[in-house]
Amino acid sequence: MAGHTADMMSIKAFTLVSAVERELLMNDQERVNIECVECCGRNLYVGTSDCFIYHFLLEEKVLPSGTVAFTATKQLHRHLGFKKPVSELRAASALDRLLVLCDSCISLVSMHSLEPVPSGARIKGASTFALNENPVGGDPFCVEVCILSIKRRTIQVFLVYEDRVQIVKEVSTPEQPLAVAVDGHFLCLALSTQYIILNYNTGFSQDLFPYCSEEKRPIVKRIGRQEFLLAGPGGLGMFATVAGISQRAPVHWSENVIGAAVCFPYVIALDNEFITVHSMLDQQQKQTLPFKEGHILQDFEGRVIVATSKGVYILVPLPLEKQIQDLLASHRVEEALVLAKGARRNIPREKFQVMYRRILQQAGFIQFAQLQFLEAKELFRSGHLDVRELISLHPFLLPTSSSFTRCHPPLHEYADLNQLTQGDQEKMAKCKRFLMSYLNEVRSTEVANGYKEDIDTALLKLYAEADHDSLLDLLVTENFCLLTDSAAWLEKHRKYFALGLLYHYNKQDAAAVQLWVNIVNGDIQDSTRSDLYEYVVDFLTYCSDQQLVWTYADWVLQKSEEVGVQVFTKRSVDEQQQNSFNPDNVITCLKKYPRALVKYLEHLVVDRSMQKEEYHTQLAMLYLEELLQQRVATSSSDAATTEMQTKLRHLLQKSDLYRVHFLIERIQGAGLPVERAILHGKLGEHEQALRILVHELGDTAAAEDYCLWSSEGQDAPCRQRLFHTLLTMYLQAGPLAPELTVAAVDLLNRHTSEFDATQVLQLLPGSWSVQLLRPFLTGAVRGSIHTRRTAQVALGLARSENLLHAYDKMRLKGSAIQLSDRNLCQLCQHPFSEPVFIRYPNGGLVHTHCAASRHSSPTPGTRT
Amino acid sequence: MRRPDAKVVLLGGASVGKTSLLRRYTERRFPDSVSTVGGAFYLKPWRALHLSIWDTAGREQFHGLGSMYCRGAAAVILTYDVTHLQSLVELEDRFLGLTDSANKDCLFVIVGNKVDLTEEAGEGDAHGLGQAGGARACPRVPKQVLREDAVALYKKILRYKMLDEKDAPAAEHMCFETSAKTGHNVDLLFEAVFDMVVPMVLQQKAEEPVETVDLTGHKPPKQARPRCCS
Ligand SMILES: Nc1nc2c(ncn2[C@@H]2O[C@H](COP(=O)(O)OP(=O)(O)OP(=O)(O)O)[C@@H](O)[C@H]2O)c(=O)[nH]1
Ligand SMILES: [Mg+2]
Repeated sequence: MAGHTADMMSIKAFTLVSAVERELLMNDQERVNIECVECCGRNLYVGTSDCFIYHFLLEEKVLPSGTVAFTATKQLHRHLGFKKPVSELRAASALDRLLVLCDSCISLVSMHSLEPVPSGARIKGASTFALNENPVGGDPFCVEVCILSIKRRTIQVFLVYEDRVQIVKEVSTPEQPLAVAVDGHFLCLALSTQYIILNYNTGFSQDLFPYCSEEKRPIVKRIGRQEFLLAGPGGLGMFATVAGISQRAPVHWSENVIGAAVCFPYVIALDNEFITVHSMLDQQQKQTLPFKEGHILQDFEGRVIVATSKGVYILVPLPLEKQIQDLLASHRVEEALVLAKGARRNIPREKFQVMYRRILQQAGFIQFAQLQFLEAKELFRSGHLDVRELISLHPFLLPTSSSFTRCHPPLHEYADLNQLTQGDQEKMAKCKRFLMSYLNEVRSTEVANGYKEDIDTALLKLYAEADHDSLLDLLVTENFCLLTDSAAWLEKHRKYFALGLLYHYNKQDAAAVQLWVNIVNGDIQDSTRSDLYEYVVDFLTYCSDQQLVWTYADWVLQKSEEVGVQVFTKRSVDEQQQNSFNPDNVITCLKKYPRALVKYLEHLVVDRSMQKEEYHTQLAMLYLEELLQQRVATSSSDAATTEMQTKLRHLLQKSDLYRVHFLIERIQGAGLPVERAILHGKLGEHEQALRILVHELGDTAAAEDYCLWSSEGQDAPCRQRLFHTLLTMYLQAGPLAPELTVAAVDLLNRHTSEFDATQVLQLLPGSWSVQLLRPFLTGAVRGSIHTRRTAQVALGLARSENLLHAYDKMRLKGSAIQLSDRNLCQLCQHPFSEPVFIRYPNGGLVHTHCAASRHSSPTPGTRT
Repeated sequence: MRRPDAKVVLLGGASVGKTSLLRRYTERRFPDSVSTVGGAFYLKPWRALHLSIWDTAGREQFHGLGSMYCRGAAAVILTYDVTHLQSLVELEDRFLGLTDSANKDCLFVIVGNKVDLTEEAGEGDAHGLGQAGGARACPRVPKQVLREDAVALYKKILRYKMLDEKDAPAAEHMCFETSAKTGHNVDLLFEAVFDMVVPMVLQQKAEEPVETVDLTGHKPPKQARPRCCS
């Protein structure tokens, strides 16, 4: 084969094969020419310049090479009896007639015998004619023929029957018509200076466009329902509908085109040297076949015939699928798709869909290989691609257990990505990135149905390999990653943290934690999370496998007591109560970890408010010990000491559960006067407590404070007692301690309401001025007045309430009740036989015994 | 293939830039173009409609085709070259007559293209950014056609169509100055035209009697008027 030159737009749409050899026709008579041809099914008719009609039967054979060959066997030939050439032939197969135009006269001959009809019916005076392939009348026993009359500017429409003809219309035209095609009522006419559409029924005509008949022979060709193809200026093939508009862009022929035909989706044109093929879909020229001296080009029900004056040839179309595949093979995706789409109406629906999807997929791979991912994605999507086709391009991505095998014949020529990118790492990475995003997009759509495992596993592998963040997202949300395959891959890529997630997802928490612990311990390397230890603690906190938690309890506590203890403190409370996580077990475990223990006890005492003496005492002791230790270490009290002290104080104040004596013993001589005071307070030894604060510590504010908090929640007299005790203590000190006198004044003025003014006045030394105690005194007087008034209001209210009750009582007693036979007991429905009854506040009357029994044993079914 | 709902036609002399405008709009680029032979069209989905935009050939040879292309057009974009006065004159002399076959209510839009070539361009024209430096190499020429000339033409067209200025869209909405090269005003032009065409088509659709049963549509035919056979 000669190397063919690949014109960018070219395609092999047709092959030209010979149908009738000239020897068969002319018997070497040089002068005789072919004038016209007609083909109807397998019948081929040829009209010659010496007034003969030849009838051949065409036989189509597909050679082993796949090419098609035709042989024509001559059936008959007949001379028409004129000296003129046969200028046109048309078959009307329904009538078994051949319409023959010869010497301006259309006669009817039998399609089989070529004998003229006996009636001699004919149409005279025709320069050319056209059959209406889309007639309006529905009569199957006639055909509609439109002739251009040799009379000037006249068109006639005939109905042709088996053996008669009937004129139905005569229309005149503004100029001499030269060529005609018919569709329905519409004639498409080439006049001498322009093309027009003429409705022969209404006479309405529509100009199409001008042309010059002197320069060029017009072409008028019906190409389908209500559409014509015309030869326009500048070698254009123009499309026009019966409405006079163009719905397709023109095709560009050579200037000297002499014939045109249509074989969907192609327009074929003939000039002196070539047959050219244009696509109606994109107007591009697709093929050029050299063909010299052709003068006839016509299509007959999809069969395209060309003829020179000596021979007849057939343009055999290549199957559309083959053409499409050829286009795809040369990576002309756009054209292939246009061609495929254009073929929709020529192919049965189901078959088309299968074919079209496959083409879309193939096209997708072509785009993919050119890294046109956006386009590729759209094609894959609309082609319903089995994504595994795409996955399988990437070696090792499909799980070993996948049952997938690539579609046959293959959708593309690539073995794998390596071959596709020719080893270009950058391209490869781009492809993988595309695949990642594509899989991620489709994994939750119906596209993934049936092979979610394959998709998710592939995605996991891609993510792992690319060190992509989404790996973790994939594993912590619902996924179908296959365990063995994924695990091996993650291990290979050292994604141990992710591997742990995978184990966890597959309910293998022990394996997961072990792996993570190994990472934290530095036995294996994976820097995915810098806070992995905290993550493990968190994981264990929410882990329902108790055994697992106990297994790693020591490990987490050894790493950090404060953080590790969370596995106990942050568990759900339910869990902490029921099972092995009960406080005693935990405390036993925490014995070795004092800081953790403190945290845990705090959790029990503060967060969960557990009322158990042991916990409180133990926590207080731990605080105390810690405090003492800190004291020893730092000698002076700094911030840390204060914090611990605050905690201790707080506990001592708030809790009533710890063993006070035990603590007092421990605290003696430890230099913690406030704490000691608190403890004495707890024992009810308020005087002692206050003495410590006032005399030992000299902190009157603390003493005041003590009075407030230790009487919190107690009744007012108790609080008064405390304040009086403190006041007494201040006053007893006498003038020797003037600061205490000041404190006493302040105390009175500030806490006026906590004192019983009469008692206080008796205690105070007479030397104190009223001015000094003014706030106290005004407060006290005010308080007392307020109390009196409140009492008066209460008294008034109580009186009025009493009055209301008295009124009610009077009302109830006031009315008499008449008892007669008509009154029935509401409970037993019997009349009253005695004057004794019980009356309910709502007015109901019942027997005394009924009322008694109702209250003692209510009978079922009793209403009201 | 879906039948377009409406047609928009680009008319104007050779080389005024019709093809370039359409390609700028549809392909977002300004490729070298060869003089159009015959015509070409582009289908544009726009707000639930399909519009066909026809790019016609401006060369004299194909002049006869214009009338057919304009038949049934909903809008005609008359294009001239702002650096060539003759191209505006031609619109009136040669092309206006072609639009007789357009719809009765056809819109007329007048577009002066190649503003990037004029001396005014460059200042304040941000669209010029990102274009090849070649633009700068072009010698600037004085603008030969002013906007007022286009507006005057528009008003003339209204008179020619025997339309009252008050009923037709105002001239300032119908005259554009564009550059296919820089993209200046190109989207604005086409989209303004489409947006004007859409309501016309919808109105037409609502008015025209339902002739065929549309199996794909789900709207019941608009109140079938009982009528005698016509
Ligand atoms: N500087 C500049 N040149 C332009 C512009 N638009 C088009 N051109 C150039 O003008 C020449 C003609 O442009 P086309 O788009 O082919 O003109 P046309 O109107 O389609 O011409 P015909 O197809 O012959 O009718 C080309 O060389 C374009 O590069 C523009 O906005 N600015
Ligand atoms: Mg052009």
